[in-house]
Amino acid sequence: MLKADKSLGIVFFPAFDWAISPTHPERQERLLYTQDQLREEGLFDIEGVTEHKPDVAAIEDVERVHFCFPEVSAVTTRSHLISAGGAMKAADLVMRGECDRAFAMVRPPGHHAMKVVHGARGFCSINIEAVMVEHIRETYGHKRVAIVDTDCHHGDGTQDVYWHDPDTLFISLHQDGRTLYPGSGFPHELGGPQAMGRTLNIPLPPNTSDEGFLMVMERVVMPILDHFKPDLVINSAGQDNHFTDPITDMNFSARGYAALSEMLKPDIAVLEGGYSIQGALPYINLGLCLSMAGVDYSHIREPNFSPELIRQDARTTAYIEELCRQLPALYFDPPPYNRKNDVRQGVISGDTLVRQRQIYYDTDGINETQRETLFLCEKCRGLLKIETRADSGPQCLGVEIPIHACPDCRSRGYQIVEEAQLKGNARYIQLINRLDRDYLRVGF
Amino acid sequence: MLLGIDVGGTHTDAVAIGLKGGARILASCKVPTRHDALLSSVTEALENILGQVDPAGVTQLNLSTTLSTNAIVQGKIEDVGVIVSAGPGIDPHNFMPCRDFHVIDGSIDHRGNEVRALSPRQLSDAVDACRANEVRVYAAVSKFSTRNPRHENAIRRAVLQCREEADCEYADFVTSGHQLGGALNFPRRVATAYFNCAVWRLYNTFATAVERALEGMGLGHVKVNMLKADGGTMPLTRSRRMPVQSIFSGPAASVMGIIALTDIFHDSIILDIGGTTTDIAVFADGAPLIEREGIAIGSHPTLVPALKVLSIGIGGDSAISVSEASSTVRVGPNRLGPSVCLGGERPALTDALNVIGACAVGDTAASRAALNTLAAAHGLSTEAMARDAVDYASTTIHNATRDLIDEINSKPVYTIHELLEDKRVVPKKVYLMGGPANALKMELFQRFQLSTEVPEHYEVANAIGAALTRTTWELELFADTQRHVLFIPSLSYRENIHTSYDQRDAEKDAMNQLAMQLDSMGVFLRPEDAQITHASSFNMVEDMDLVGRNIRVKCQVRPGVVAIIREG
Repeated sequence: MLKADKSLGIVFFPAFDWAISPTHPERQERLLYTQDQLREEGLFDIEGVTEHKPDVAAIEDVERVHFCFPEVSAVTTRSHLISAGGAMKAADLVMRGECDRAFAMVRPPGHHAMKVVHGARGFCSINIEAVMVEHIRETYGHKRVAIVDTDCHHGDGTQDVYWHDPDTLFISLHQDGRTLYPGSGFPHELGGPQAMGRTLNIPLPPNTSDEGFLMVMERVVMPILDHFKPDLVINSAGQDNHFTDPITDMNFSARGYAALSEMLKPDIAVLEGGYSIQGALPYINLGLCLSMAGVDYSHIREPNFSPELIRQDARTTAYIEELCRQLPALYFDPPPYNRKNDVRQGVISGDTLVRQRQIYYDTDGINETQRETLFLCEKCRGLLKIETRADSGPQCLGVEIPIHACPDCRSRGYQIVEEAQLKGNARYIQLINRLDRDYLRVGF
Repeated sequence: MLLGIDVGGTHTDAVAIGLKGGARILASCKVPTRHDALLSSVTEALENILGQVDPAGVTQLNLSTTLSTNAIVQGKIEDVGVIVSAGPGIDPHNFMPCRDFHVIDGSIDHRGNEVRALSPRQLSDAVDACRANEVRVYAAVSKFSTRNPRHENAIRRAVLQCREEADCEYADFVTSGHQLGGALNFPRRVATAYFNCAVWRLYNTFATAVERALEGMGLGHVKVNMLKADGGTMPLTRSRRMPVQSIFSGPAASVMGIIALTDIFHDSIILDIGGTTTDIAVFADGAPLIEREGIAIGSHPTLVPALKVLSIGIGGDSAISVSEASSTVRVGPNRLGPSVCLGGERPALTDALNVIGACAVGDTAASRAALNTLAAAHGLSTEAMARDAVDYASTTIHNATRDLIDEINSKPVYTIHELLEDKRVVPKKVYLMGGPANALKMELFQRFQLSTEVPEHYEVANAIGAALTRTTWELELFADTQRHVLFIPSLSYRENIHTSYDQRDAEKDAMNQLAMQLDSMGVFLRPEDAQITHASSFNMVEDMDLVGRNIRVKCQVRPGVVAIIREG
């Protein structure tokens, strides 16, 4: 009988009753064939591989991370809460030492969900990795976390949630934003002034194949992880870099994904996108499971796999080699924060950083206008204030007192909430106080 | 009149049950099991029973034997040629059950589409290699054969080179993986097909001998069923192609016996304390628990449906030993012949129970004398040693039961009826059966601190369970309206379907096929006994268009007893 080198807990939640719309890529059928493949392979009979039921995320688990307007229950379904709960369950398995590693094979996905949530964008409503990471920090102490996003789309939601957090390293490998949704994820996006270099984007050209992905992992990602020394490595394991994916243009293979995972050695993997539900997902998910469990995956091969047909050309290789030369410096020696007068990037005036942004929710067709203020504090990460409005909806306010906030930022946070209540110019107000674990909602 | 025989590790138990005017036990007996001549144990028990009742009144004999189990445990099995096509995934060599194992290139995907045809050259080489090793029984298994059996059929044809085994000069029997059931699990399918072949000849020889013996006793008219590990039976003729289903049927007989003898409706523990082992079973809300995917034979998980039973090496004949280092008294796990009181040479648990006065089995003076000798050799008093031995046995049983309950509660709970989500099994009652049941009743009551009951006829409860168990069957239906195909793997039944075929049609077809199957076995299916345990339908979409439905239905006749004994 097969024995896993690393014990692996798999939390499987296929949400067989949830879809964005009947023919949407994010539909009931998405994990059906993956389930069939894993069962047929006898994956759960491997000694050390276990299957677990997801938990259900509570409203507070979501409100620890997001400003949800008008409220959590208005922007989520039960499937979203179970998907996030599945990721939390995976984290608990690892943190309690029940498993060496865990894989939350759950849907709906979450990595396009930003700090503020008015609805769904990029098939995502709440950021399941962020809900999981903050659950870990709330329950098991403040950990240094590295999130490596290997979905084909830029993980703009996760980047946004952790933009100002120096203790979370976010690295996203994705198809170049000039050629794919969401159109962001360029090397100059490096994090806020308090966390420069803690966000790193690696935009890869279309048709990048196994060779390119593994080169970037070896030359960029791994040296940075070695330096950052995270307590936990998390993989946002999107699978749409696959050469058969219908909505992207990359040439990655199932065995390539498994090799990437073998290199990365994530403590926890969380499924994100991936819409080649018959030709890719069953094989990639199997590959990731075997690789994380330390079991031989070399016999995995998609039905129409041909190394010659998906090989990247020399120009692509040369381009990626150049990326590998230039990108590491952005982490190891980040440039000073850009103070140019572009308010969309953030302008520093006095002790505050102000960003004005327009965010489009493609799935729900919402336009959000947002003004973000970060109080640049020398003693802590700084108080965060976000004034936001969806389309012509009411003005909303979110205030976050960060996890190691200083007394000044703490009292300023409460002061802002109080003033907003008195003035009455925000219809909904949400306060996240990570210091005292106080989560306040006004106007609901 | 129904007969039930359970061939156990130590004893063979038999009962005759009359059904007129409420089920009653008309006769029962217990004879020793002779493992080298199982048939003689069966005939001896039968003759004993037929001495007490009229053979002409017997309509049915249900038989549970350890034949296949023992053959596997003792390695008395035949060489099997296992030929598989696996396609991509985990290296199939990890699941190699025997020497003559051949992997043929070719693959079928999760939808049942053939991605790559079988390599004819490799296949014929594999068959030649097996023939050169004088292999006569074969297992043909492919990945996803429960979606499309094409490769298994091709392997079968290559092995037989004709349609039926009976006409074949090269092989006597071929097991096709998909006929073992519709579940998805390739490694288990390989192991199940392998064991099915490995005991096939032995089992069929035994089945033929049983039929002849019955003929000889004037019981040729009797319908014979074999017990399965899931607490059901199958007709003897059917079992000839499915001998693997007869493994581990003994514990199932005991569990069904409890259902026939008691009014069980709580979360409960069943302890069947035999001569060699104690079998521990658990009921949730009055229903026995099952192994989720199938029972494991040694280290090989299989697809054989089974009740969840844990066997531990504590029984009436478990030898008493004293560890040299710490002078601790231990019992089991070995049986070194019967207890001294019953003519054995080594003092066993029953002797200790005799000494403390919990029972008076056989020659109690011999028990005392034997324990005296053993105790003196280790500087212990006889009483203390007997006490320690009984304590050790009851503590071991208690701890193993607690561990089993903990293990059950760490996962979803599956009973014969359904999956109980969020169920925590909290036993309220302990049922004891088997030879030493009464003698250990107070001891186990003190350990468990739960209401403890020894039902009437506890000594032959297993045979009663065997006699009253009804035929069970399950099948899975898989339909793919894009491929226009419906497939029921266990029946090798394939049918073309229309684009509009839906879940309701599938449910109806599955239930009809189940009824027809049972009917062909001579079993009348009461509608309330059959149930659909799983039904789902997924829309399949390609390029934003609905292209068909992927439908799965599973239905079963759940295990149960045909009558309940109400006496006294």
